[in-house]
Amino acid sequence: MTIFRWPSGWDPFLGLRQVQRELERLFGDSVGAASRQVGGGSYPPVNVLNGPEELIVQCELAGCHLEDIDLSITGETLVVKGVKKPPEDDSELHYQRRERGVGEFSRTIVLPDRVDADRADARLEAGVLTVRLPKSEAAKPKRIQVK
Amino acid sequence: MTKKKEHIAVHAEPVRGGAPGETLTPLVDVYESSDGSIVLKAEVPGAASEGINIRVDKGVLTLEADTCLEEFGERYAWTYQGFEGGHYFRAFALSDEFDRDRIEASLSCGMLTIRLPRAASAKTRKIEIRGE
Repeated sequence: MTIFRWPSGWDPFLGLRQVQRELERLFGDSVGAASRQVGGGSYPPVNVLNGPEELIVQCELAGCHLEDIDLSITGETLVVKGVKKPPEDDSELHYQRRERGVGEFSRTIVLPDRVDADRADARLEAGVLTVRLPKSEAAKPKRIQVK
Repeated sequence: MTKKKEHIAVHAEPVRGGAPGETLTPLVDVYESSDGSIVLKAEVPGAASEGINIRVDKGVLTLEADTCLEEFGERYAWTYQGFEGGHYFRAFALSDEFDRDRIEASLSCGMLTIRLPRAASAKTRKIEIRGE
């Protein structure tokens, strides 16, 4: 399980990216610039967007079915759990190459604002899960009249 | 039998595509199903069938997919970005034992499945020994 919290603008891979950029500059475009391997790191990969009215969380879940995904929100924590099932006759198949992982996964995402979980909306399309989380009234900015 | 399997081996090195911008290498599973055909499964999350291009040319199967994620506009600020849409590209060398006219592909849940049936000439045939 991965828990992460990010102050806005903080990039944990900044140092690595700088090294990569330097290497690219020295050796041309050979280091990962043209072809990037997907996968590795925490699964599933997520995007978090912060809008004025709502937060949007996108998860990349290629090959996952609706019934295998479990979403839950507690306070400011969103948990995406699920299972990536292998084919039914998996033990009889002769694999030549196996890069896609199978099995259970869980990722905990600390949201940058409080949300109204009752109005959350999630849909799975083409292997991408999009969760829309309307911000709770308390999290929205309020204008204060200066007298 | 084992020797034969090595012969079929699908060569799956990431090949640099000629596309501009960043090219992503999709994760693939390649296995032999019970009927002897080879099944190739590739993860192309966010791709629609019209954005996918599969070609077989001179014994090389190339798979390309353009994926675009839903965009939300300028009112949304990125808090965290773990993945993005892009151009997926991968090429595989095919041996002659596949029937190239019968290659089938389907797309479901962001997964592309390509089925490569073996050519009739490549299938194992039992040879009857006739008695005198």
